[in-house]
Amino acid sequence: MVLMLAAAVLAPASAESEHSGHDTSRDPKSAWEKSLARPALAVGVAADASGRLWRARVETGQVLVSRSDDAGKTFTASVAVNREAERIAADGENRPKLAFGQNGELYVSWTQSLDQPFSGHVRFARSLDNGRSFSAPLTVNDNAEIISHRFDSLLVDGRGRVWLTWLDKRDASAAKQSGQAYTGAALYYAVSDDRGASFAPNRRLAAHSCECCRIALARDTDGVPVAFWRHVFGQNIRDHALARLDDAAALRRVSHEQWSVDACPHHGPALAIGADGVQHLAWFSGAEKQRGLFYAQSRDRGQTFSAPLAFGNPDAQAGHPQVLALGTHVSLVWKEFDGKQTVIRAQQSRDAGLTFANPVTLAASASASDHPLLVSDGKHIYLSWNSVAEGHRLVALPEDSP
Amino acid sequence: MTGATRFMLGLLAALAGAATQAAELQPFVAGSMQQIRSAHADQPFVLALWSITCPHCQEELAQLGKLQQQHPELNVVLVSTDTPDDAEALTAILARHGLARAETWVYADAFVERLRFEIDPRWGGELPRTYFFDRVHAVTARSGALAPAELERWAVTPVAPTATP
Repeated sequence: MVLMLAAAVLAPASAESEHSGHDTSRDPKSAWEKSLARPALAVGVAADASGRLWRARVETGQVLVSRSDDAGKTFTASVAVNREAERIAADGENRPKLAFGQNGELYVSWTQSLDQPFSGHVRFARSLDNGRSFSAPLTVNDNAEIISHRFDSLLVDGRGRVWLTWLDKRDASAAKQSGQAYTGAALYYAVSDDRGASFAPNRRLAAHSCECCRIALARDTDGVPVAFWRHVFGQNIRDHALARLDDAAALRRVSHEQWSVDACPHHGPALAIGADGVQHLAWFSGAEKQRGLFYAQSRDRGQTFSAPLAFGNPDAQAGHPQVLALGTHVSLVWKEFDGKQTVIRAQQSRDAGLTFANPVTLAASASASDHPLLVSDGKHIYLSWNSVAEGHRLVALPEDSP
Repeated sequence: MTGATRFMLGLLAALAGAATQAAELQPFVAGSMQQIRSAHADQPFVLALWSITCPHCQEELAQLGKLQQQHPELNVVLVSTDTPDDAEALTAILARHGLARAETWVYADAFVERLRFEIDPRWGGELPRTYFFDRVHAVTARSGALAPAELERWAVTPVAPTATP
């Protein structure tokens, strides 16, 4: 990859604030109405302790939560989380998130879009009555500037504490105000140890993340959250980093495609940690010489990583990977476009990711669609996928290797 | 006709001209890419993909605006990956970057994978994305905001810039 970037190091922050108060904000009411009218494709799904699947979708500015007692064939009537409608990011890299506490708590998070371009707040609500009612939403970011606090991820750790991570531009904003350049955004987090009633002050996990790629979160076998995200290394190399959320100093670089680019990939990674402690990582790179999807694993808690394994067809837009581990069963899914329709492809491993069977197609659609999501009820692995023509579906992954 | 009236009429004409020069967004749907190629047969052109959701795209648009000012003969085709609902915001941004006269399109089909496939099956969707088409439509693709030098080099010798390792 080849770009001459010398003159292109303009901090994105300046591009953002430069345009504050212009354009998309000129007619916020109409922008708001239009965004509400658009169908939200991104759906969140998670399984509770007893393996029941819960779903969160977004309709006319509300997060709607429902439950399935038959592995996703039917869902109960949905309950609105936020009573007052707000603009909710629910496409591409953004989807509403669900997580469960140790005593039946149901936690929900999402990103609220604000009236300036690239701005948002991280929002959170909980239900202590099994999803019948929800608390009034909290804004979790304690910086109130109308800047980016977006791309939320939600996880409950081994002690039942609730963690939220997101991409935050407060440091970029501060740098801009003092006339300094700042590369990218920063990865911030907040933790609640009172079942989501309140959150401790925000903390920074890493400076200089990429600006608009989702963050992958998974729980290590000792209960500690681990984050995997697209970082900006050096001046402008957008490869991937891994860090445990109890040790901010130990940021590990995972990928080395050297994708040097002043761009918004909108293409975040995936992470799963098996009960055996093996970390499974999947990501996309647009580096000219190594363009496509990659899988690697770590068997020593993120100290070292296997050589990346390329998967998917880069000539068919292979992208948006997901990975999930259930025992030694590891599933990789991703999106491709075959010239006529979008297909969700899968490769499965029965030996904790040492080898993978040939790819199979799980689902297809000739319409707009969400990124794929993997979820497990503890017995099976399901693909969750929403498309305009077919609607939301849950597809059990084949049990036997093809 | 008084001088003042003539002045007013002239002003009105100028305003009308300016209005028709505002970027007219064409709906980019299945088949539009072929249409663009045909319309520019035997001509070099720059195809630039951008979005209002992409901070780096603003840098790219600023550079393209300068480039088009310096080289009015250059064919610049801009495709926004937003939606026709965003037309007002899109045209305002283009005008601010001096791109009101460029050929401008906006995605008008939510099935973006198909649009992306017709543009370039290998493109992962990252923005900005720029394609340099030379006279015989040999294509060089670039991701990310481009340095002014690279754009200028293209404008001066509209052949695919040589890749440097």
